[in-house]
Amino acid sequence: MSAPPGAQVIAVEDLTIGYGERVVQQSLRFEVRRGEVFVILGGSGCGKSTLLKVMIGLVPPLQGRILFEGVDMVSAQGPERLALLRKFGVMYQSGALFGSMTLLENVRLPLDEFTRLELEERHLVALTKLNQVGLLEAARRMPSELSGGMQKRAGIARAMALDPGILFLDEPSAGLDPITSAGLDRLIRDLSRSFGITFVVVTHELQSIFAIADRCIMLDAKRKTIIAEGKPAELRDRSPDPTVRQFFRRQAAPEEEARAG
Amino acid sequence: MVRPVPGGPEVAVEVREGASGGAVLSLSGALDVHSAAGARRAIAARLAEKALRLVEVDASGIEHGDASGMVILYELAQGRFTPGTRPSVHGLRPELEKLLAAFPPPALAEGAHDRPKPLSVPVEVGAAAIGLGRDVVEVIRFLGRLTLALGSILRRPRSLRVGELARVFEKAGANAFGIVSLISLLTGLIIAFEAAQPLKQFGAQIFIANMIGLVMVRELGPIMTAIVFAGRSGSAFAAELGTMKVNEELDALRTMGLDPARFLVIQRVLAGTLAMPLLTAYSMAMGILGGVIVTRLMGFPLALIWRQLSSALGLKDILFGLIKAVVFGTVVAGLGCYQGMHTRQGPSAVGDSATRAVVASILMIIVVDAVFSVVAYLLHV
Repeated sequence: MSAPPGAQVIAVEDLTIGYGERVVQQSLRFEVRRGEVFVILGGSGCGKSTLLKVMIGLVPPLQGRILFEGVDMVSAQGPERLALLRKFGVMYQSGALFGSMTLLENVRLPLDEFTRLELEERHLVALTKLNQVGLLEAARRMPSELSGGMQKRAGIARAMALDPGILFLDEPSAGLDPITSAGLDRLIRDLSRSFGITFVVVTHELQSIFAIADRCIMLDAKRKTIIAEGKPAELRDRSPDPTVRQFFRRQAAPEEEARAG
Repeated sequence: MVRPVPGGPEVAVEVREGASGGAVLSLSGALDVHSAAGARRAIAARLAEKALRLVEVDASGIEHGDASGMVILYELAQGRFTPGTRPSVHGLRPELEKLLAAFPPPALAEGAHDRPKPLSVPVEVGAAAIGLGRDVVEVIRFLGRLTLALGSILRRPRSLRVGELARVFEKAGANAFGIVSLISLLTGLIIAFEAAQPLKQFGAQIFIANMIGLVMVRELGPIMTAIVFAGRSGSAFAAELGTMKVNEELDALRTMGLDPARFLVIQRVLAGTLAMPLLTAYSMAMGILGGVIVTRLMGFPLALIWRQLSSALGLKDILFGLIKAVVFGTVVAGLGCYQGMHTRQGPSAVGDSATRAVVASILMIIVVDAVFSVVAYLLHV
């Protein structure tokens, strides 16, 4: 939280991602700024989730660098890597809560492992995180007793446990009804405004994108790179690229339209 | 008089006398996840040094903080450091004020971390008894469903998925050859070696051949094979079907109008029923081979060993062993599938099902074997 709002926190340089011989995306270059909600979007199968996994260090890139406040995620090892991991939290698509623990214990786990606070204090911090996502009453429940939306909110609470400056969210609105999804969007905006958290969100949910995104990049499966970058409303109205306009106006691709017609 | 705090160099704690006579605690620096634990110790130490009543916390010097740091301020404000009084906190930066405001009211925070109380012993015993009763009913229901599915396949043999049957047969049967041979051969060798010493005292070493033949064919061949089958394939069936249940694949089959018992279970039970006697026959042969190797090493000619074996073993012994193997195969495969189909929800459910399948299978193998022994004794087989 040392850098002022608007300063660059993540810089992706010349990144090529893929599995083995298969390149999914290449020549990716973008930056994420302090305090913004940055959205990675694109059609199904374009490599959004792979890009997220590369950025959080789960999958090594084929080439390129990912700098968190100047430190490269790709080459970091040992304590340097641990320090990097503490800078961000991740909410996985399914919530990825530990099924054998209550919500409170899930959120408390990082505090138990990485702080020297006393048990009572760790409880309080974990409860506060649950309070921030509106799940204070559900603290004693097991993940399997919760709805999908609640599990995702609990996932956000756990990601925030150690107050990282950056939160990565993988498809927060996938599988949620519009009301729950809109609630989650508002939560993201609130957390971003009130606490200055930087968000990197992977999604293809249009309404969500317009509701939360300060800036976005759009990936394309065919051209295998970023085809648009900017504010969502501007891209919808002014992008010279027909694929981008179609995406934002929710139109079928021309050939699919021809088939359907 | 700002002194650095041991263990938490980023926060400074100072206590001074306020205008109204009470003490003022001022904090400055970074109060975050790194410095919080040190700050708590320092605050407790400073307050103990001066016997003043704390009335105010001056937080205007805190430049940086997070929730793990704000918990210290929260505790100060709740009077946890100063029993009897609740000092007021002021001067906090607006963004940190928001963090502090996110803490739950004390009434809601109380008791939220208690886990549900464990059940009392009588309640647990009762629940276990009811569960056992339900299990029996469920097993009978499962057997009924299986019989119906078998009936429908007998009426329309083409509805049996032969490809699936062959795949399961290969995995559960053919692929088990290596482990079954090794275990059976070694069992035969070990028993022959162990029996050699006592039999030698009576000059009856040649009867090792008779003993190995009977033991491997009537008992150990079928049982060893069945235990290997339970560990390799019964658990696999349970895990496979359990994963399908967790992934709602079984529900998908049902809503397509396909009966999982006919679509998945029959193939596995049939494969088990067919593979077990074949594996067992092989196991019997390997066990006997082990015994033959030992007796041969003791210097007996092969012709003599062969005569002893053929005088001790009759066709009825081999059939007895093979029929047992058929029953073991059906029971182990059936139990594996039953446990898989009854997998519960949760991350450990599939593992639990696999465990239950193996434990129940081994138990049932012994029970069925005992029944066979009693029946064989009564019928003089």
